[in-house]
Amino acid sequence: MSNPILSVKNLVKTYPNGVQALKGVSFDVKQGEFLVVIGLSGSGKSTLLRCINRLHDPTSGEIFFEGSDIAQVQGEEVRSLRKKVGMIFQHFNLVPRHTVLSNVLMGSLGRVGSFKSIFGFFSPKDKTDAHKYLKLVGIADKEKIRVDQLSGGQQQRVAIARALAQGPSILLADEPVASLDPATCHTVMDYLKKVNKELGITIVCNLHFLSLVRQYATRVIALKGGKVVYEGSPQDITEEWFEKIYGQDAKEVHIN
Amino acid sequence: MKAYLFRRTFFDSFIFAYLVMVLLVVVASPSPEEMLLLERNSILFTVAMFIGAVISSGLNKASNEKLHTLGESLFQPQYKKATKNEVSWYKTMAGWQLTVFLCVTFVVGIRVTKFSLLELLNEDGFAGAVRLFKGLFSPNFEILPKAVLNIIETIFMAFIATILAIPFAFVLSFFCARNIMKGPVAYAIYMSLRTLLNFTRAIEAIIWAIIFSVWVGIGPFAGMLALMIHSIASLAKQYSEMVETVSDGPIEGIQSTGATKLQTVWFAIVPQVILPYISFTVYRWDINVRMATIIGLVGGGGIGTMLIQYQGQAMWPEVGCIILVIAIVVWAMDQASAVIREALK
Repeated sequence: MSNPILSVKNLVKTYPNGVQALKGVSFDVKQGEFLVVIGLSGSGKSTLLRCINRLHDPTSGEIFFEGSDIAQVQGEEVRSLRKKVGMIFQHFNLVPRHTVLSNVLMGSLGRVGSFKSIFGFFSPKDKTDAHKYLKLVGIADKEKIRVDQLSGGQQQRVAIARALAQGPSILLADEPVASLDPATCHTVMDYLKKVNKELGITIVCNLHFLSLVRQYATRVIALKGGKVVYEGSPQDITEEWFEKIYGQDAKEVHIN
Repeated sequence: MKAYLFRRTFFDSFIFAYLVMVLLVVVASPSPEEMLLLERNSILFTVAMFIGAVISSGLNKASNEKLHTLGESLFQPQYKKATKNEVSWYKTMAGWQLTVFLCVTFVVGIRVTKFSLLELLNEDGFAGAVRLFKGLFSPNFEILPKAVLNIIETIFMAFIATILAIPFAFVLSFFCARNIMKGPVAYAIYMSLRTLLNFTRAIEAIIWAIIFSVWVGIGPFAGMLALMIHSIASLAKQYSEMVETVSDGPIEGIQSTGATKLQTVWFAIVPQVILPYISFTVYRWDINVRMATIIGLVGGGGIGTMLIQYQGQAMWPEVGCIILVIAIVVWAMDQASAVIREALK
């Protein structure tokens, strides 16, 4: 059995205001997996992803990424970690007033020197890569349009292309479809699936909808109150587990 | 909670001490020499403040809401303001406190400013004003070419002051933004820069002009330097407030690509603030043209210096011409900057 690409051990995150978002979370992610994290709002899903690429600093615990513990690294080491970890956000987090192409090129900022990038000197390879990834997510014809002119689904696809331009080995997706309508939802999830299958990039994705989980995930973990309460195959989530994760009164919603 | 008690007590005792001092002046009618005894009078004021503080605390401890002071009703926390008994203002301590304070201040103010209807309607004085207005309203256009040249100097003074202030203000604005300066060292830099800028802004441009006209000599250079210092402080504050309102999304997005701090500022923050920056800068140029005129009065060069020369010789028709030129230019700048700022929205 191959070593896991990402291995989280006993991760704890306490915010300065005293809120304990993660209370000892442990799990492994294998190369090429499409792992989905489910749980209620406030269960610690977002915090978990932000600890992995160190947008947040974990309080204690270990995060092994490609063999080395990155839970407490600082400065330059954080940057070299982030280069290999792409992230997709619920609200896309693109830079307004810039074009689609310019936003995708920003994915290569980690490789370009500060001053070169400020004057817009991106290498020809970065540019061809940007075009390649825009084609992959199906919006190559929109490269000259300002991102604030695009629909939500299109913006999220630009965000995927930007994350790919980093050349990541793992992609973190924090509720990538939560602010999209049901139809667009599937398009974006399909592109994530494509990235996972065709480029072999490992994906860790937070999701709300159980129907999407069954359709796309290869494995599922469920968080509740900052702890892992379920780990297994998406097909094995029974009614009983569903109630345990989402509470007694929850009803499953299907989107198609 | 403690801040509220301090504010309430300080406010009440200040008003009390002020009223006591006015009463002392009225009752004891001190000589002008006695009025100048700053040390003794300060001690008297402080003692009165202590008495006021005691009275304020005593009244506010009373369970009867009618006895609560003005400071209490002004500074009490929101949860206390939420509930209130309906009482006519003249039945409350706070109402009387406010009434007495306003009436006394009005009377004292009238006395201090030597307000006098007699002087306003004095025949000789009125004739003088009429003569002046006659001069102003029949401007002497012979000096128009000189006035135009001088106002051009003023406009360029304001322009260069604004342009030179931009790079300083731009860099400073990021160091003065709370959302960028996280961590203890960064916070110390943030606080000291803020204090320095507030202090610089507190000194009016006209004072800077006096300082610089001694330093580099009277003329447009001194005026330009004064405007520049003032513009740096003002723009840095406005810019940094803009930086504080940017949304965190793009910042997180850029950070997650492994970008450096400099790249994050340039790619995630600058695109969000650039338009307001330009808008503020155009407005600052507009303000600087008006300020440059005033600064000219103390030797900062340009149209202001010309104005003060003719005014000193009481050549009112010439002054009228200069005022007309200033009015037209200020109006035009105001309109132009408004149109540009509208287009930038």
